Amino acid sequence: MREYVKNFSERVEALLKNLPEEEIAKALNILQAAYERDGRIYIFGNGGSMALATHWVCDFNKTVFSHNLDKHRRRFQAIRVPTTDEEITAWANDIGFEMIFAGPLQNYLQDSDVIIAISSSGNSPNVIKAVELAKSRKVPVIGISGFDSSNRLNQLADAKIHVPTEKGEYEIVEGVHGVILHLMTKYFKDYFDHLIAKAEK
Amino acid sequence: MIVVRAPLRISFVGGGTDLPDFYHRRPGRVISTAIDKFVYVVVNRTPMIDKVTARYAITESVEKLEDLKHTRIKAALSYHGINKGIEISSFSSMPAKTGLGSSSSFSVALIKALNAFQGKKIDAGEAAEAASHLEINLVGEPIGKQDQYAASFGGFNIIQFNPDESVNVSPVLIDYKKRLLLQDSLLLFYTGIARAASSVLTEQKANIHSKFQTLSEMADSVPEFAERVMREDISGLGAMLQQGWLKKKSLASNISNSTIDDLYNAGISSGAYGGKILGAGGGGCVMFICPVDKKDDIRESIKKVAAEKNLSDFREIPIKFVQSGTEILYNGDHFHTSFS
Repeated sequence: MREYVKNFSERVEALLKNLPEEEIAKALNILQAAYERDGRIYIFGNGGSMALATHWVCDFNKTVFSHNLDKHRRRFQAIRVPTTDEEITAWANDIGFEMIFAGPLQNYLQDSDVIIAISSSGNSPNVIKAVELAKSRKVPVIGISGFDSSNRLNQLADAKIHVPTEKGEYEIVEGVHGVILHLMTKYFKDYFDHLIAKAEK
Repeated sequence: MIVVRAPLRISFVGGGTDLPDFYHRRPGRVISTAIDKFVYVVVNRTPMIDKVTARYAITESVEKLEDLKHTRIKAALSYHGINKGIEISSFSSMPAKTGLGSSSSFSVALIKALNAFQGKKIDAGEAAEAASHLEINLVGEPIGKQDQYAASFGGFNIIQFNPDESVNVSPVLIDYKKRLLLQDSLLLFYTGIARAASSVLTEQKANIHSKFQTLSEMADSVPEFAERVMREDISGLGAMLQQGWLKKKSLASNISNSTIDDLYNAGISSGAYGGKILGAGGGGCVMFICPVDKKDDIRESIKKVAAEKNLSDFREIPIKFVQSGTEILYNGDHFHTSFS
């Protein structure tokens, strides 16, 4: 049993030691620019990736500013799509499962927005549909994927955050994705804390 | 109505190597950052008014596009095949001709707005390219391409101009600590001397072949500047700015003058590591990199020189670096295509 745990953690550790620093930095720049123009951040994924998306929305909208909630009148506007479960079933049942993200996203998406697409395979048809919608409107795309780097999401994204593993390693990919999403939260939390500390000095 | 915002920029080293006579022989390179001063272009559809209206320092309203005085708006509208039913306004947080690239910021914003007006979405590269084409080929300005790319992409970048006319924009990926450190080590002053880039660049362009070696050194120094930003070597960055400025001064006779030299020397003798004039030269802004604890001394001595020289519009410009490029903030031009 110990060996199993060790083996799993070593594989995660190897990936964490080689995070795509440059692409993560580009993603942080995309988010910074969206904040400066008061744009919105739409995030989505299937299954575990949807859970990651929702978790990140909570952290990014609130935890980033939690040390100084009153001092930041303007905060991030991160939104998971679809915003209701009813929309998922309506689009899936009436139109098709490949439209559950692109369909609702089309209602909201403005030129000043950005999107974050999460897909372990990078090839989920519904994720790709929404990414293609964003690309057609020249809205910046942060793509968070796994498995093979030739996946469609990684090809289309402006910031290509890719965690390379064998096909099917969902647990490892989603675990590392969680760390990367938390890194983004922590970066902006530290940044805004730093700005407040500087202003009060 | 469509509202587009484009940032101004400060350039550090490599200016002048974005002119075609140079980069056709070997790649030119500059390093610059977008700042929190913006140009806004607003485009409004006026289907009931068969005119072209342009509102800037003056308001023009013409029946025939060829009667419009604003050269860039005229050329851009003609290029897009628009000759009536449109109103274009611009707003700016800074006066024109300060050396912060505002005229190209305006062009990129205009291009982006006119494309949106025609229902086309374009990315940062396409907008920069189209704005360069507008200013350089259609209007015939003797300028380079660095400002169009800086305004279109936003952020802190190395911009490389290749002999085949392609341009590479490589972001310098600095975290907020490095960004704020450099930002806090900068002082920027508007000299109060407005100048058109074209007046200086015409002579500079004529000198390109004789000054090829100097320009090559300027282009080559760009990666080193980025490395020093990464290392947080503020004094080294100041020294590089100074070397770059001395090289630039040698490119054309009218890049500096005695007023600019006196302002510059006042900053250096009060403790700045180095500095430069922003823009093509002859006026515009003077910028210093300095120790944070010397900022007040520098402010005081340079203000004194400005008062002696009767520069009534002289003033400090506080700046922040921004990641924003040229962006559509609002697009409410839907009614003519929707069923509502």
